[in-house]
Amino acid sequence: MNVPQDPAALRLTGVTVRYGTRPALREVNLAVRPGEFVALAGPNGSGKTTLLRAVLGFLTPVEGEVEVLGRPIRSLSVLERARAVAWVPQGESPRDDVRLFDYVLYGRFPYHGPLDSETADDRAIATRVLDEIGLADRADDGILSLSGGERQRAVLGRALAQTTPILLLDEPTSHLDIGHQLDLLARVRHLTEGGHVTAIAALHDLNLAARFADRIVVLSHGRRVADGPPSDVISEALLAEVWGVVADLRRDPATGAPYLLPHHLVSPPRPGVLLGKGPVHVVGGGGSAGPYLRALSEAGYRVTAGALNLLDSDLETAESLGALTAVEVPFAPIGAEVRERLRVLLEAATAVVVAPFPVGPSNLPNLDEVRGCLGRRPVLLVRRPSGEEWDFVGGRARALEEELRRGGAREVAGITEMLAALAEPRSRASN
Amino acid sequence: MAALEPTGAVPALPLRTRRRRLAALGLLAVTLGLVAFSTLLGSVTVPPQVVYQVVLHQLSGGALFPEQCAGTTVSPRLCGAYVVIVWQIYIPEILLALIVGAALGLSGGALQGIFRNPLADPFLLGISSGGTIGAAIIYVYRYQEANADLLLPLFAFVGSVGTGLLILGIARGRFGSVETLLLTGVAVANFLSAVLSLILLYNPTGSEQVTFWLLGGLGLATWQVDGIACGAVLVLGTLLALHGRELNLIQLGQDVAQSAGVDSRRVRLRVILLASLTTAVAVAFTGIIGFVGLVSPHIVRRIWGTDYRVVLPGAAAVGALFLLAARDANYLLFPGSLLPIGIFTAFAGVPFFLYLLYRQRGASTMGST
Repeated sequence: MNVPQDPAALRLTGVTVRYGTRPALREVNLAVRPGEFVALAGPNGSGKTTLLRAVLGFLTPVEGEVEVLGRPIRSLSVLERARAVAWVPQGESPRDDVRLFDYVLYGRFPYHGPLDSETADDRAIATRVLDEIGLADRADDGILSLSGGERQRAVLGRALAQTTPILLLDEPTSHLDIGHQLDLLARVRHLTEGGHVTAIAALHDLNLAARFADRIVVLSHGRRVADGPPSDVISEALLAEVWGVVADLRRDPATGAPYLLPHHLVSPPRPGVLLGKGPVHVVGGGGSAGPYLRALSEAGYRVTAGALNLLDSDLETAESLGALTAVEVPFAPIGAEVRERLRVLLEAATAVVVAPFPVGPSNLPNLDEVRGCLGRRPVLLVRRPSGEEWDFVGGRARALEEELRRGGAREVAGITEMLAALAEPRSRASN
Repeated sequence: MAALEPTGAVPALPLRTRRRRLAALGLLAVTLGLVAFSTLLGSVTVPPQVVYQVVLHQLSGGALFPEQCAGTTVSPRLCGAYVVIVWQIYIPEILLALIVGAALGLSGGALQGIFRNPLADPFLLGISSGGTIGAAIIYVYRYQEANADLLLPLFAFVGSVGTGLLILGIARGRFGSVETLLLTGVAVANFLSAVLSLILLYNPTGSEQVTFWLLGGLGLATWQVDGIACGAVLVLGTLLALHGRELNLIQLGQDVAQSAGVDSRRVRLRVILLASLTTAVAVAFTGIIGFVGLVSPHIVRRIWGTDYRVVLPGAAAVGALFLLAARDANYLLFPGSLLPIGIFTAFAGVPFFLYLLYRQRGASTMGST
């Protein structure tokens, strides 16, 4: 084939697709290199399937251009498209008990005229594909006799028999158990590693996407909001922003791939949120504030946090909860500007919680600023574990804390007491 | 076929394949046998020896049995009448049964495939009501008496095709939706039924003929009719039967088919048009013969599987056999009179169809949904 040289196997330029008046894709730009395995992620209704259908030519963009192998998809005939792009749809379930071998042969359709029958080449390709999907011994069985996992592999096989350079998969793992999910994605991964197949898969499971894909493209409300290698793209902040989910980010110790432990929604549908409880400001650092921030958020309080240094895990937690924060650059003392922002947050707060954070010269201003709240709003001091050194400024931190206590700050033993204290009428909490 | 298989290719299931080939040979043998048997049946009983001598005489162009009633006791005058009865009535009737049966079976199979619906039949798109209006005009206004034989078929054909095109035209733009198309068909058919009732109410003279028409019959059969029907059905049917691979893929869904290279919308329009034209040809000459188009594809799928490259020609073959059997049943049960053939297709077809449905655990030959 005489294909114009385009380094991209697939290119979307400013693609906008509408269903009626509702835009399903908005000005999406995307270039996929040959041999890449791209995972499309995003919440339901974010445009993943729409993007795949636009690439298949099922939908015509109102603006922009979809190009496959350097040629606009709308300039290709249905047969030409079928020789360029194959599709593994969501939940294809054959109704007739077709022999698996014949079913895979269906994929050879675009290579025949109406009067041709299958050639020896076609049969060889079908045999090879059956081998690739690990179903060579089931070739003669009816497709309805296969298990769910095997059937999904058969659908992949039918698509592979089209021998296209581009493979699109729409939630290929959605009905599979965990073992078959891994199996199927490993097979797709293996196919792309030869460099001849480019795969784009809509995947709901971000952990699977991070584990197998070279690259994750995140869609939200029809826009491409993040794009890059999994370790760059997956973050707690992204989860909170795009999915509205609070999650912990970990790394697979073996592969380094990021994985997520989802916890709960950012804004649980509780009355408290709607009425706008809080905000409660949490002072902390070094991971000390995280549990209190999460607990407060879960209990329906809006939270703010700071001042914190970039890279502090407390900051990631706060951001994932959608909290306003005061942020300093990494490993630097809290500067005047950040201190000013901290003062604003403290002023806006209905209560302040001081998490048990280690105090050094750089973050001493945090305690210092809390003094300004005394007598004006409740200040809760979380009791520190005994015997653990936390004052790294030669007693100045202890002195400040003592001053807070004398000024009316109340000591709480942990999360439960904190929530109880906040729930009390304001006059008593500020005693 | 076996020579084409590369080494390492999967060997075909010998038992199933052999059984299917045997069934195909059986179908062929039964059809040929039934054709031979059918020549003995008709409105008049002709001695078997005379029948076969007449047929062989005509087929050989007069070389065999120059005296067509030689070796029998039949008088020369009676012999002349027998020749006309066998060659001008029985044989055209038999051939028309085969042609129309094939047309209805094929059309039913194609429409069941394109709509992915086991209840689809050739009259799905208002073909029957349109054709009936066309025929009723001839019957009621007695044009038939004044004009040539082909006027009735022409009116019926125009009525059928016109209605089909009207429905496709109305549904145009919403062609992606099967339901819209089918409901449009039902709506238009009901409208035309009302028109027909109105015509008959004010012109009761033609209503008996219309009733006969609505049950179908082979009464119009002549060599000329057979020639036209055969030519049309052969051309349309061949074009239709070439869509087996497309129909196979369409069973997986419009979108899957499209992604695999089938231009779903265009194929759907083409198959519906071809199937409707094929049906219209049948309707033009024989009226509305029910059940052949519905039951034949199901029989084929039960025996030969769901591959539409087999289902389409198979449904044509089974349909031909079925309609011929219905004609014979008529003459066996009611010797001497040709009744509406739809009565017999229903009598034979309904019990057999129910048996097929309930014999296996699935209630349908078109998948489990």
